[in-house]
Amino acid sequence: MQNLSCFFIFFLLTNRLSAQTTLQGRILDGRGRALPGANVFIKGSYDGANADSSGAFRFQTGRRDTATLVVTYVGFDNYAQKLILTGSPMDLKVTMTESANELNTVVITAGAFEASDSKRMTMLKAMDIVNIAGAAADITSAINFMPGAQRVGEQAGLFVRGGSNLEAKVIIDGLIVQNPFFSSLPDIQQRGRFNPFQFKGTSFSTGGYSAQYGQALSSVLLLNTTDKGSQDGVSLSMNLASTGVTYDNATEKSSVSATAYYGDLRPLFALVKQNVEWQKAPSYGGGSLTYRYQPTKNGMIKAYGMYSDSRLSMIFRDPGQASPANELGRTLLNQNNRNLFINSTYTDSWDEGKWSLNTGFSYSHDTDDMMMGQYDFSRLNQRTQVRAVLTRALPGNSQLLFGTEFHSIKLGNTVFGNRYTLTDQYAATFAELQLYASRKLAIQLGVRGEYTSIIDRFNVAPRLSMAYKTGSYSQVSLGAGQFYQTPDYNYLFLNQSLHYERADHLILNYQIIKNKRTFRFETFYKNYAQLVRELPNPGDVSGFDRNTGPDNPYRFPTGVTNNAGKGYAQGFDVFWRDEKSIKGFDYWVTYSYVDTKRLFRNYTMLATPTFVSNHNLSLITRRYFEKIRTNLSLTYAYTSGRPYYNPNRPEGEFLTDRTPQVHNVSLSANYITRFKGNFVVLYASVDNVLNTRNVFTYRYTADRNGGPRKTRYAVGPTTYRSFFVGGLIMLGKKAKVDLNKL
Amino acid sequence: MKTLVISLIAALLGATIPVLAQSEQYKQAMAAAIGTTKTQSMTTSPADILASANQFERIASVETKEWLPHYYSGLAYVYLGFMGKDATEKDAYLDKADANLKAAEAVTNNDELATLKAYIAQARMVVDPMSRWQQYGPLFEAGIEKAMKLNPENPRPYVLKGSSLMYTPEQFGGGATNACPLLKTAKEKFATFKPASDMHPNWGQKQIEPMLEKCK
Repeated sequence: MQNLSCFFIFFLLTNRLSAQTTLQGRILDGRGRALPGANVFIKGSYDGANADSSGAFRFQTGRRDTATLVVTYVGFDNYAQKLILTGSPMDLKVTMTESANELNTVVITAGAFEASDSKRMTMLKAMDIVNIAGAAADITSAINFMPGAQRVGEQAGLFVRGGSNLEAKVIIDGLIVQNPFFSSLPDIQQRGRFNPFQFKGTSFSTGGYSAQYGQALSSVLLLNTTDKGSQDGVSLSMNLASTGVTYDNATEKSSVSATAYYGDLRPLFALVKQNVEWQKAPSYGGGSLTYRYQPTKNGMIKAYGMYSDSRLSMIFRDPGQASPANELGRTLLNQNNRNLFINSTYTDSWDEGKWSLNTGFSYSHDTDDMMMGQYDFSRLNQRTQVRAVLTRALPGNSQLLFGTEFHSIKLGNTVFGNRYTLTDQYAATFAELQLYASRKLAIQLGVRGEYTSIIDRFNVAPRLSMAYKTGSYSQVSLGAGQFYQTPDYNYLFLNQSLHYERADHLILNYQIIKNKRTFRFETFYKNYAQLVRELPNPGDVSGFDRNTGPDNPYRFPTGVTNNAGKGYAQGFDVFWRDEKSIKGFDYWVTYSYVDTKRLFRNYTMLATPTFVSNHNLSLITRRYFEKIRTNLSLTYAYTSGRPYYNPNRPEGEFLTDRTPQVHNVSLSANYITRFKGNFVVLYASVDNVLNTRNVFTYRYTADRNGGPRKTRYAVGPTTYRSFFVGGLIMLGKKAKVDLNKL
Repeated sequence: MKTLVISLIAALLGATIPVLAQSEQYKQAMAAAIGTTKTQSMTTSPADILASANQFERIASVETKEWLPHYYSGLAYVYLGFMGKDATEKDAYLDKADANLKAAEAVTNNDELATLKAYIAQARMVVDPMSRWQQYGPLFEAGIEKAMKLNPENPRPYVLKGSSLMYTPEQFGGGATNACPLLKTAKEKFATFKPASDMHPNWGQKQIEPMLEKCK
């Protein structure tokens, strides 16, 4: 009996002791390297240990039967394994998978040049764009220094890879901007209307862009506005052109920012010699209101409205108006432009980000009351649009999105006092799938369908993008697709049976970002089809309009038009940035090459268009001098010669003349200080430091008898060497510091 | 012998019956882990701080209704976020801090968690100040404000705000002149602050001492 009870006790004791299972092993990554300090434990119990420096661990657990072993390590996905614990020791080898991060996951980039603070694989930060000397804090001017952009000094807009300014659209928060630039004036490059500090990210697409956007044969400039602000206070700004005041207020859920400004360029024109004959220097006034509201955790309402009114009067040369009494064709131009722009978006996501919705509404109304000589050339531009995009996140970083947009457009154009109007309804739907076949390979497939009521036609366009990660810091990508665009409205006033113009793109890109150095190489081929061609008027001698050159901005085509035009564009660009080699010094170099020919508009044969320069080179340098708290930037821009129309040439030599090369060196500086406890920034810039007499194009004056002309005059910048100074002061107790506000 | 057997069996059986032993175990484990953190500072090796973070993570996996284990684990990852060898590593540590904060916030909401949120935002900003201040600066300020509103007696928001201003250049609103009043307020509050229990946070006093030297 006693023996039995002893045995019983002994049995219980050994059972109790062997209730502890010893677990040991090693924690390794995918390449067999140890993960020191990994956390290894039994889920729901206190039993566990830290892996040592060789990844080895050992601990005991009192759990029996089933248990889950959990291993966690920073930068890796959590590991879980079901175990059957019987009391006998277990030897485990655990291999952990790295979490998706910048170094191991590819990002689709072909055809897009990004400047953003939060996205990965971007070339620049948002404020990098604004600090470029020569850009005068204007986003679109800054884009002219990016790879793929071509500088055209006397016209507003973006000219990308051989495309005209009508082929590049500016898009804010997904909505097309009807009038992103101030009203065009003959031979003057107008600024963009937007303050660059409104934007947190810029994506300059040089082609092959997503199915979410359309109606741009060459490129889209995607601008994303900032989210809720945090400033409180008032700031005053004053410079040689204008004065302005801004009021900011932020609460936990919302923020408001209101700006009012007034400008008059007379003081500036008195100090800086103008090449333009102003009768009345531009004066302008306006205001804007920005409102942000966060109704739910992930929801955001953004509303932006701006209004501006500007007046000016100038004398310009129009060879088309030349007469024996007025050989130079000097014409008086009076312009009063009023522009209203409202842009509002609502975004939200739910189910832990599985679904997200992006909706937007925008309204713009722009009128130009304009007289050229004694003729009325007024214009009206109105666009209302709505847009909605629904995105569904799929496992493994993939996503699927559907969207639709609807626009209503009204245009009015007065030519020599004759008024033309048209209305157009445009609708589009699109779908896009972004798939990560593996961490290293991503594919984006999209399709876009559009309908335009004024020409009563549909189109369907496929889009494709692929990217493959060649190493931790580098990747290659490909972009391809078809792009349709409704012909220029100037043609549609008289011919509403035209087809869409079309471009097919193919883009290949390689980039590497390592150790604060960036190298990017991109090559492209574009095929243009169905471009609008103007057939020669029966009365013309050579088939080419002798009175005006091919790119007079006020030309109103009156001849017969069709879609028989075509063309091609090919080339490459290179981008190199180095923030490391020289301490505190940041520089980048871009070189773009394009070879392109087109037969379109009133061209008589396939030729390189007048807005194309084959070579564009930019060098941008920046340095922050801490002791004097000053930021200095020096820029050099080179643009090779552009074709211009010479009526003295025989027909076979159409557009074979080239203007001389353009060189421009600019310098800018900004200085930060405090005045009576308020934050102050002072800035100054000099453009065209070397006072180079640049020529953008030539025009030929009229001959007394109306025959071929021999005398030409040069069209150049509105000023040669010029300078600009200004300052900003931020008042108010809670004014937060804005390091980069200039 | 019989009594010996009976008492042995009772002891063995008793050892396997978990009655309220969980709560005792929790308190003991936390006391041990928090004790270790009290010996740590910014000069402790990352491996040791990681070991602490792991300890708290294990406690958190058992005590799913408690916020403190997640809080301390998050705090340890913030220190690691300041110590990481490059931006990628720092951000990876701060991702873990964020995950811990989120788990703690699922249990409750209070001033210490708001302070931790601000601390994480500050660490994120320090990784790349020039480009991140716009995104994380407001989050830092919001966390501090919320913490001060929820519990005006808590010295830790003042510790964070004061030390952040101390390392901000004077012309941007920082420097000793702006930081010292806040640090002095923190010191005063430490004298009177009583944490809700031994396990509740009470760090920060050692941290501000070297900075207070500059405030004389």
